[in-house]
Amino acid sequence: MIINIDKDLCTGCRECAEVCPASAIEGEKGQPQEINYDKCVMCGQCIQKCKSYVSLIDHGVGVYEAKRAERHLPESVKEPLFAAYNNCNLDKVKAALADKNTITVVQCAPAVRVGIAEDFGGELGTVAARKMAAALRKIGFDRVYDTNFEADLTIMEEGTELIKRVTEGGTLPMFTSCCPAWVSYLERNYPELQAHLSTCKSPQQMGSIFKTYGAEIDQFDPAKMYVVSVMPCTCKEFECNREEMNSSGYQDVDVAITTRELAYLIKDMDIDFNALPEEDFDQPLGLYTGAGTIFGVTGGVMEAAIRTGYELITGQPIPAVDVSAVRGSDIFRTATLQVGDLELKVGIVTGLKNVVPVLEALKAGKLDLHFIEVMTCPVGCVSGGGQPKLLLDSERDAAYEARTKGTYAHDAELPIRKSHENPAIKKIYDDYLLEPNGEKSHHLLHTKYCIGANNFKK
Amino acid sequence: MNKNLSSFVVACNDQCTGCRACEVACFTVHNQKDNKVAYTVGTVEIPVTPRLFLTRLDESCLPVQCKQCEDAPCLNSCTAKAIARVDGVVYVNEDLCIGCKNCMMACPFGAMEMLPIAKKGQAVKQVGSDEIRKSAYKCDLCIGLEDGPACVRTCPHDVLKLVNLEEDGKEKKIKAAVALTLTGNL
Repeated sequence: MIINIDKDLCTGCRECAEVCPASAIEGEKGQPQEINYDKCVMCGQCIQKCKSYVSLIDHGVGVYEAKRAERHLPESVKEPLFAAYNNCNLDKVKAALADKNTITVVQCAPAVRVGIAEDFGGELGTVAARKMAAALRKIGFDRVYDTNFEADLTIMEEGTELIKRVTEGGTLPMFTSCCPAWVSYLERNYPELQAHLSTCKSPQQMGSIFKTYGAEIDQFDPAKMYVVSVMPCTCKEFECNREEMNSSGYQDVDVAITTRELAYLIKDMDIDFNALPEEDFDQPLGLYTGAGTIFGVTGGVMEAAIRTGYELITGQPIPAVDVSAVRGSDIFRTATLQVGDLELKVGIVTGLKNVVPVLEALKAGKLDLHFIEVMTCPVGCVSGGGQPKLLLDSERDAAYEARTKGTYAHDAELPIRKSHENPAIKKIYDDYLLEPNGEKSHHLLHTKYCIGANNFKK
Repeated sequence: MNKNLSSFVVACNDQCTGCRACEVACFTVHNQKDNKVAYTVGTVEIPVTPRLFLTRLDESCLPVQCKQCEDAPCLNSCTAKAIARVDGVVYVNEDLCIGCKNCMMACPFGAMEMLPIAKKGQAVKQVGSDEIRKSAYKCDLCIGLEDGPACVRTCPHDVLKLVNLEEDGKEKKIKAAVALTLTGNL
């Protein structure tokens, strides 16, 4: 299972149940808790919350080592182990790296770059994009690519889809589909609303371009390619294993690890993260814009979509690149934006629990919006279940704020801040995809949700 | 104020869920300087060594920690002179502790534990052997921290309180005196 609660360690405090957005943690107070996997959306917020650690006093000498082995963590891991934990996939990654016949490709989600340095003693929210690229290269990945590129790609596809739905009378409002925990929540609880989900795959799964376009430009045999995702998210492992995510002819993304697991791997390989030089991601699939990087914060997908959508619809440059109307951390916020003749009404939901009233309003016909972004974690992916875990809950707000600030600062410092202006995006459409929402995009970058009941048994 | 009695941290309500956030906070603030513990779990390279101890009963649980006794049995029984009173806190100097466990035997509250010592993120070894050195660990009221004990600040249910019995006693006496004036018997 992706998310687990260790019965030997759980004290039954139920603090995790307080943060679980799916009410999936069941059990009596004071007794070890169980996860109801029919409800669990694998967001990992319980893992972030749990403080019930392997104790020398309560559990004894040797239990730590036994638990570490049971969880398939590297022996170099020395940090405390807690009752709630996620499945560690580093064995698979290490095996792929060690196999000389395997071409290893790695991609990193936007939020990883404002989290990873914290596990090496960095200040909260330190932007470490280029150090991370250096680390991944040093680990030995053959191609160091970036999910931020696919976030830009997502904007091209999702923006085009939205414009089509608005102008051609498609199902509205359209919901974002980047967050796999949100998607699985809707699939299980509101399948009747599935037509409202964007058909776009998430940026991670637009990684289907690695074994297709990526293989073509490097003349790699896609059968020998192994794609690793580094994600702030515990649910991404579920997403990459969905049965339909094989449009390259192979499993598009072979394995997803968390930000924390990347930190384990860096330490396991004796790499001094803080001493690394700043390096670039590999081209062309590692070139990204500010719009791609803000996917990591609540409101970011919306803002990125507006930056591009505005210009695609009006043909004019957007008056202000910073779309402050959609920023913030309120659990449900709406804005009306004038885009040419269109009054675009958008909404942003952060924290999965907060989507329920929105969905109920939609069902009751009381929701007048075109486009809604939904993120499961408290302030978007920077607060994801796979991000570095805070020792003190009192620092949670400061950490979320710093990671958010770091993300916007990174956006502001990048030379290009709109997805459609990314030269690598222009090139992939010129040379390969031809047009957004075209035939090739449809095959590689879009999907159908609510099709596999089996998906939830993993 | 010059105090006659030491303050101490104590559980003051029955809301403890047993989450262990107090223990983790205690460990964290005591290892930020010497053991490179920063904001996240990933910066921890040593075993968790708390100075208060979650204790389970049949139907409930609560953390137990040092009362900073006025005539401290641990201090009195320490053969290595590793325990001293510093600013009202009964304080263990782990560099001097020899791990004899007299303090553990003497403490009537079980508020003393023997745990491994670490410096710079590494276990400290004994002189002349590869065995890891241990020291007595007990609550030191987060001596030196401006904001006071980390456990008190961290507890999500306000279970822990820094008690000052002199002030407490004064307040209680005033309340009792006021009540007496209302009885009409004075």
